Amino acid sequence: MFYRLSGIHHTGYASAHRLWSVPADRWQVVAVLALALLAPLFVSDLYLGSYVLPWLVWSAAALSLSLLMGLAGQLHFGYAAVMAIGAYTSIHLAQAGVPFALAILGAGLTSAVIGTLFGAAALRVKGLYLVMATLAMQYLVDWVIVNVPAISGGAQATLRTPDVTFLGLPVETLSQRYYFALAWAVLLALFFMNVKRTSFGRALIAIRDKDFAAAVIGVDPFRFKLMAFLTSSFVGGVTGAVLAFCYYRAVTPEQFSFNVSIQLVAMVLVGGLGSVIGGFLGAGFVLLLPIILTNAIADLGASGWIDLSQNLMAHLPLIFYGAMIIGFLLFEPLGLAKIYDNVRKYFLVWPFRHSGS
Amino acid sequence: MTDSDTVLRCEAVTRRFGGIRALKGVSVDIAKGEIFGLVGPNGSGKTTLVNCVTGFYPPQEGRILFEGADITGRKPHRIAAGGIARTFQNVALFKGMSVLENILMGRHNLMHPNPISSLFYPFLARGEEIAHRRKVEEIIDLLQLESVRDEAVDVIPLGLQKRVELARALAAEPRMLVLDEPMAGMNQEEKEYMVRFILDAHEALGLTVLMIEHHMDVVTAICGRVLVLNDGTSLALGPAREAIADPDVIAAYIGTSSDAA
Ligand SMILES: Nc1ncnc2c1ncn2[C@@H]1O[C@H](COP(=O)(O)OP(=O)(O)O)[C@@H](O)[C@H]1O
Ligand SMILES: [Mg+2]
Repeated sequence: MFYRLSGIHHTGYASAHRLWSVPADRWQVVAVLALALLAPLFVSDLYLGSYVLPWLVWSAAALSLSLLMGLAGQLHFGYAAVMAIGAYTSIHLAQAGVPFALAILGAGLTSAVIGTLFGAAALRVKGLYLVMATLAMQYLVDWVIVNVPAISGGAQATLRTPDVTFLGLPVETLSQRYYFALAWAVLLALFFMNVKRTSFGRALIAIRDKDFAAAVIGVDPFRFKLMAFLTSSFVGGVTGAVLAFCYYRAVTPEQFSFNVSIQLVAMVLVGGLGSVIGGFLGAGFVLLLPIILTNAIADLGASGWIDLSQNLMAHLPLIFYGAMIIGFLLFEPLGLAKIYDNVRKYFLVWPFRHSGS
Repeated sequence: MTDSDTVLRCEAVTRRFGGIRALKGVSVDIAKGEIFGLVGPNGSGKTTLVNCVTGFYPPQEGRILFEGADITGRKPHRIAAGGIARTFQNVALFKGMSVLENILMGRHNLMHPNPISSLFYPFLARGEEIAHRRKVEEIIDLLQLESVRDEAVDVIPLGLQKRVELARALAAEPRMLVLDEPMAGMNQEEKEYMVRFILDAHEALGLTVLMIEHHMDVVTAICGRVLVLNDGTSLALGPAREAIADPDVIAAYIGTSSDAA
């Protein structure tokens, strides 16, 4: 077997601290990255633009939320609003002639400030009330965007993203937008992994697991939960901007509605709380499965295998998708990432059944 | 004992929970470098006193001074930052982390956790992580935890979990260590190991130790002085053997529970 732990010896802490200390994992990462870089060459524009590109952006969104939900253990039911703030900020800044790089930074900062303000209010309360406070953020932000024409351009308006260049590189054609989204997703994934292996991430996990035990070794629970809101809202705002410029290109308030917040929570839960690979798997699942299912069912119906009413056909994917979410919560609460991990460990310790770690 | 020797001073500490008066004006001074025992029947207020000292349940009356500074009512994380580390009667480890990460967590106050360092890991975080990993390995050596270093904390036996919790407390480099029944639920061999580790840590790190303990053999073996609590009041205070032999103390123990012996 090529995928083994035996024969790998760490001779110093630096090698043990590497992100992928198993060579097989490193090769996997290289292969996936190579595929991603070459994708515009062998994937048709239709698939690249309507499947791969949105999958990358939503994965980034799931990762952003997972920082808060997965690591710090704070539920957020208004995350689409965080992204909306980023999207609208970046568009207005770019339209005002601010360089795109700065517009994105501005998007992150604006989301971070507003997200943290709501976070601070939410942290004063606990449990169900926290959920209510984040819901309040969703509805308040929605309301402001729709009712302030200066932001949305009017109740029914669509805002077009202007053509932009990022540090001299244009972000206009499909492949340019694809590479930009890919770069952001990769950067965010690396950031997430680095958070998890440093003292910042451990502090977040500690307050999630046992806040009183965290306090007794000096972690200020309020401060670190707030830092989680801040960090997560910042990257969420940037992701909102990336979503607007790379995918939608024409923005309306409904694209950031409450439904989207629920979908984001589902992505994080199905993928696996606090897992990087889970962010990608969860986003893929929530985004692509209904589409594939709809097509499959339509094909089956067309070939005469089954006879379904139009109405039922429209709802079947949703039913299936809901059932899968409940199934995951009941049977594999750690999500798709855990299933991936089990398979990986199986190979790592083959021919034995159990690994030490 | 002169005043400058006093590390921890509790002055008439009173704590109520609703109608229950768990502590009724308890006073005690603990000197630098002492291993001080806190004993008493179940429900006598030992854990509550420790919770007052570490900021979980601030006392409603009385004062607590640590190294001369009034820490009454300070938040737990600030008291921890001030140099007091503790363990819990029921192990309180972080389930989502390995043994190593749990102990590293103990170094929180000595590190600089923030998202910017994490983002620029190679430049801002790696050096710090590795330096603190070295320190943690010293503690792992001291407490003989090498074999479980990479295990998840919830799969190792309870005796080892208690040892990991001690390691996490020591990793913070405290000046005072507060242990709430560090040997509860241990067999004789595990108990002997734990005693050894507490003595080693006390000696190697020059700590002051406040320890709640039910096992009288352990108390008489390692504690210099003890405070006996009963029903929230102090019953006896003094050298371990004398305090435990006090007729009031014997009466209190016989009068309540038998598992306390
Ligand atoms: N959080 C709490 N809420 C209500 N009562 C409490 C609480 N903590 C302790 N008590 C009460 O205080 C008394 C002392 O408890 P404790 O300090 O845990 O005793 P010990 O540690 O000596 O066994 C008990 O009567 C207990 O029921
Ligand atoms: Mg107790």
